[in-house]
Amino acid sequence: MAAPSTDLSAALVLASPQLADWLVVLPVVLMIGFGAVLMMVRKSVRLHGTIAITGLALLVLLDAALLIRISTYGPITMVMGRWLPPFGIAFTADLFGSLMAFVSAVVALAAGVFALRDIDAGGRRYGFFPFLMLLMAGVSGAFLTGDIFNLYVWFEVLLISSFGLLILGSEPEQIDGALKYAVLNLIGTTLFLIAVGYLYAIFGTLNMADIAGKASRLRETAPLVTLTALFILAFAMKAAAFPVNFWLPASYHTPRITVSALFGGLLTKVGIYALIRVTVMLFPVEREELSFVVAVSAALTMVIGALGALAQNDLRRLVGYVVIAGIGNMMAGVAIGTPAAVSGSILYALHSVVTMTALYLVAGEAARLGGAWSLSGLGGLYRRAPWFSAASLALFLAAAGLPPLSGLWPKVALLKASLDIGAWWLAAAILISAFIVTLALARVFLLAFWRPRPEPAPELAIARDWRIAWPLGCLTALSILFGLFPETVLDLSQRAATGLAEPSAYIRSVFPGGAAP
Amino acid sequence: MAANAPALTFIVLFLPILAAVLAPGLTRFLGDRAAWVLALAPALAFLHFCTFLGEVAGGEVVTGGYAWVPSFNLSFSWFLDGLSLTFALLITGIGTLIVIYSGGYMKGHPDQGRFLAFILLFMGAMLGLVVSDSFLMLFVYWELTSITSFLLIGFDHEREAARRAALQALVVTGGGGLCLLAGLVFLWNITGVTQLSLLVHLENGLRESPFYLAALVLVLAGAFTKSAQFPFHFWLPNAMEAPTPVSAYLHSATMVKAGVYLLMRLNPVMGQTPAWEILLPFFGGITLISGTLLAVRQTDLKLMLAYTTMASLGLLVMLTGFGAPHAVEAAVLYLIAHSLFKGALFMVAGTVDHETGTRDLTKLAGLRAAMPITFGAALLAALSMGGLPLFFGFLAKEEIYTALAAGNPRAVFFTGLAVAGNALMFAIAFAVGLKPFLGPRIETPKHPHEGPAALWLGPVVLAALGLLAALFSGLAHRYVSSPMASAITDQKVTVDITSMPHLGLPLMLSIITMVLGALVYWRLDTARALMVRALENLGPGPDRGFDRLICGLVRLSVAVTRFVQPGRLEIYITATFILLALTLLVPPLVFGELPGVPAWPQNLLVQEAAFLLIALIGILAVVRATDRLTAIVSLGIQGFAVAVIFLLFGAPDLSFTQFMVETLSVVILALVMTRLRLSPRDHRPVGQMLFDAVVATACGLGFTLLLMKSVEAPFDNLLTDFFNAYSKTIAHGANVVNVIIVDFRGTDTLGEIAVVMITGLAVLALIRVRAGSRTGSGEGR
Amino acid sequence: MEALFAILIGLFFAAAIYLMLSKHTVRILLGVVLLGNGVNLLLFTTGRLTREVPPIIPAGMDALPAGAANPLPQALILTAIVISFSFFAFLLVLTYRAYQELGTDNSDEMRLAEPRDEERPPMGY
Repeated sequence: MAAPSTDLSAALVLASPQLADWLVVLPVVLMIGFGAVLMMVRKSVRLHGTIAITGLALLVLLDAALLIRISTYGPITMVMGRWLPPFGIAFTADLFGSLMAFVSAVVALAAGVFALRDIDAGGRRYGFFPFLMLLMAGVSGAFLTGDIFNLYVWFEVLLISSFGLLILGSEPEQIDGALKYAVLNLIGTTLFLIAVGYLYAIFGTLNMADIAGKASRLRETAPLVTLTALFILAFAMKAAAFPVNFWLPASYHTPRITVSALFGGLLTKVGIYALIRVTVMLFPVEREELSFVVAVSAALTMVIGALGALAQNDLRRLVGYVVIAGIGNMMAGVAIGTPAAVSGSILYALHSVVTMTALYLVAGEAARLGGAWSLSGLGGLYRRAPWFSAASLALFLAAAGLPPLSGLWPKVALLKASLDIGAWWLAAAILISAFIVTLALARVFLLAFWRPRPEPAPELAIARDWRIAWPLGCLTALSILFGLFPETVLDLSQRAATGLAEPSAYIRSVFPGGAAP
Repeated sequence: MAANAPALTFIVLFLPILAAVLAPGLTRFLGDRAAWVLALAPALAFLHFCTFLGEVAGGEVVTGGYAWVPSFNLSFSWFLDGLSLTFALLITGIGTLIVIYSGGYMKGHPDQGRFLAFILLFMGAMLGLVVSDSFLMLFVYWELTSITSFLLIGFDHEREAARRAALQALVVTGGGGLCLLAGLVFLWNITGVTQLSLLVHLENGLRESPFYLAALVLVLAGAFTKSAQFPFHFWLPNAMEAPTPVSAYLHSATMVKAGVYLLMRLNPVMGQTPAWEILLPFFGGITLISGTLLAVRQTDLKLMLAYTTMASLGLLVMLTGFGAPHAVEAAVLYLIAHSLFKGALFMVAGTVDHETGTRDLTKLAGLRAAMPITFGAALLAALSMGGLPLFFGFLAKEEIYTALAAGNPRAVFFTGLAVAGNALMFAIAFAVGLKPFLGPRIETPKHPHEGPAALWLGPVVLAALGLLAALFSGLAHRYVSSPMASAITDQKVTVDITSMPHLGLPLMLSIITMVLGALVYWRLDTARALMVRALENLGPGPDRGFDRLICGLVRLSVAVTRFVQPGRLEIYITATFILLALTLLVPPLVFGELPGVPAWPQNLLVQEAAFLLIALIGILAVVRATDRLTAIVSLGIQGFAVAVIFLLFGAPDLSFTQFMVETLSVVILALVMTRLRLSPRDHRPVGQMLFDAVVATACGLGFTLLLMKSVEAPFDNLLTDFFNAYSKTIAHGANVVNVIIVDFRGTDTLGEIAVVMITGLAVLALIRVRAGSRTGSGEGR
Repeated sequence: MEALFAILIGLFFAAAIYLMLSKHTVRILLGVVLLGNGVNLLLFTTGRLTREVPPIIPAGMDALPAGAANPLPQALILTAIVISFSFFAFLLVLTYRAYQELGTDNSDEMRLAEPRDEERPPMGY
């Protein structure tokens, strides 16, 4: 039927995709598929756990394969429906995206295992595992897509999934938290969509490689600084940077602890991912113009987050503020913008995904053993659960950025980068924030672990459970491993940052001929 | 041997940590004898380091290392010169004795294994600290010593005082560590090198750099907090909450000297500047004198020792920065002497406490008969601490006075400080080493008798070493003092002082010191009473200040958090939109991105204008509506107007969808809202209304301007042309919009379907739980 | 023509934001609907406006007639409409449930997640 005169090669990628190319889309396909299967067997609650864990384990393997492939051969692009980019939607995975995707998958698997115990039959019946799968579809899609409108769609997928997870159980407190979360996040994603609209008006294209190539031509006439500012605001909201961080402390402590752990590890980091992708790769010149504002926001986020952690009695809220303090650190790297600084941000993001998830799990386990969420009610955990205490202490040190754990290296990278450009006040903010977080977490250790229980309660025999020990142990081990042998990850993140600052490999992967038509 | 040396040293550096890992298991298996086995680890390390003595004394440097984090130019590399080798020997040597002592001291304690593990872990950290060549490696070990110290001070974690002391130590030394990190990164930035060995021999003027002072202050903040210099000293006496082996090891012999170590290490490259020679002696001097004065006031054996430790650290800092000939030699000798006698005295104090059940000086006397060996060790150590001839402490004191005594006012001032401080330390030395053992017996909580070998071995060996090192001072100087002093000054220095008194000014000063010290010892109770009264008049010290700082910080953080996170959605939304307005309006003004004045559309058709107007009326009506039904109906009006606008501008698909969605929205809203008993109006006060209107208008204006600017330039039709060209020819669809949705951008649609699916499930979850049981949704289902 | 639309869109956003600044969740909800429409109009305008000619290839032709509307923004809006409607539906149910559970639609009175008199952390050690 096609007119014989039509030159197919002008419209389609004729070479059939290689196996490796499929790796770029498979994570998303896998998660949507598993999500759909789980919805089909919604009533058979018993099957959910097994199916979901299988899916997440496969996801980890896929993302690992993708990461290995990309770190060896560079970015991979796969176009959907074989339409040539920038016309169809291209999935383009570079080191940055695949690193984030891999770490997220690991954390999701850990949280999934933890959920086997934490999420009761009711929670499963109302869709915990399908939500989890689709959340991961959204997260993976966001990390791997090369199209900015498509990125918006994945943002929405993960956002609506997070709504579902947040309200599981429908406690009044959850509904209050969910309302604030939903309204503010809706505003955030709408701003993102609006920014995409403006972007399309200016560029006439949605493919990120295409945009990166065209930005320099349009810089003279188009309102790119304002547009970048709008993107920064939208992603800062998603990332919970001060002063648009309200939704996080308002909601993260309300759902089941597994859900908090997933959120704390993944959601804000997707915001940071998008922020880095857009500001560093697409609009570096505009980022430079706005760097002072971003730096101020970063410094305030770090300090406010740290102070917030110190002010909390509820362990979950405390961890929420620690997450925010970390966001400030990542923003600092964006503000500085040199490849060294951006690699610091990426490192911090990777560390934060693992550590923050684990910290929420610590809070959950502390509450299970100690029977309270609050510092005033907890106590005696050190005597009661030595191994758990050791893991917790390690994670506290990691979150505070003390050696020999994972938090140290990003901190050093960011410190060095900020002193390199003479931003001593940003360096000071990093250190002050680290100091206050150390104090806050040390107080947790003192009060909840070392201190004997405030009122001696009947010692319930609480059995050890592999569904708690394994996730917590593995995440802690990851943090320690990264702390002791940081070189591999450091090298990857530096290469990822270089790939963002100089995206020629990314662009070439989308347009093998060089630039876009 | 030579070929294997680097690998061997590497293993030795991890030997204590390995032992720490084994400690809990071994203790469970061997019980109280485990300490003897575990002590092998530091003992072997000690022997290993001894093999380097000859080489280092010959002026060579032992280095080695492996790549660790090449990205940061950071290698795991060690650097053994006279300075670090002496420290390494002290750490492993005293460490061996401490591990054995701990076995005796903690005998029968249920957590003995954990205790030994922490001690060994600390040892590994401390060892790493002093041999580190890379800055960051130094920092890693530096903080590790802070962390292990935290764990050890809080070992007896069920007592609040122990927890407080642990937090205090962590906050002070950990905070100082962060300053040190900043200082080290500064040094890295200024010089471009990341290794101490390279830094020390650097020629290109670190001292002249404009950042020298900043780096110096930061490094000093790290060193002073770690080495308990005034006004950061308060954590050290509180750290005595830890079991006595910890006090003997960390808080007198090794960890607190890390700051001094760092200063000595950096002396060649940062020293000999006015700032260095003012700051160090000044803070050191204050610490010396306040430490000794505070020590006099105490009656607790451990606290007396702790305050004199603080004073000694002050003396060391003062000497390191004094800048006169012999000052560094004096610091070296005093550091070694102090490690020996103070370690011994702490262990004695611990043994006395262990055997009698008290360490209150006023409740102890006449123990010499019951504990003869301990008494002997205590006496020897006290003689060294008092600086009597024949002991190593005497050598140190002679050298101190040789260095300090000179004609200028500065020298006179610091000599006076040193004499006063040393005299008081002399008094304390004998108060601790002599008083409990002399005189008639006093009844103590426990019946005292000599402790087991594990308890007296350490004090005896250390105290005896203080004597032997002085008797064979030639040997000690050749292998230890001279190489260490050479390393600190970065030039060849030969220490040759002997234990034979020489007539001269130093000896005179020594005699004055001893006479004064004896006087204070004789009237110790009076002196103590005087100090107690004086301190009461001074008011609360930095120790109380710490409590206030922590409470204040928590209160401040609560206040700040309540301000920035007030818990009201309205405030959150308002702040967000204010920020949005700023984001949209400020950059265009600053960066000149405002649109030009647009041309009025000339060929606006009547129906177009009509529907634009209807939409406008619709939104105004929604805003102004006084009751719900009007609002919902108005909402419908604007929605349908938008649908018609889509139709007018060539988008029938959109129009149809908009009609559908709008109808649904209105119907559902009407259904739901009428079931709620809501107050019909918005109760905003007028001021609030105006403010909200301003914010909203500003945002709207921003969006408008940005849109005008964005569409000013000609549109890039590349994508549209492509869809146009291939929609029918390849994708076989005439409706281009539909082809885009299902083919060109099918993935978006996949995501969209996922969203709809998830929404359904989420809504179901929200509704169902209510229909199900409210009660059972909590735990345990 | 785009300028006129820009002004209308600005008014849509202003109205939406004004509504969302209210304490009452129902008004916030109305604001969300207006916001969605504003965004749709904005996306529509970004592809530049043309009149009446829909992007449908007439029978017997291989390409669009001259002056046809830009199809891509329309496709994007279709995606966005459905997503924003989903969100609207969820928010609506959430508001309804909030009213049921908390007995109010005033967000100031919804202080369960962040209670007004929250306990301070212990000051001791």
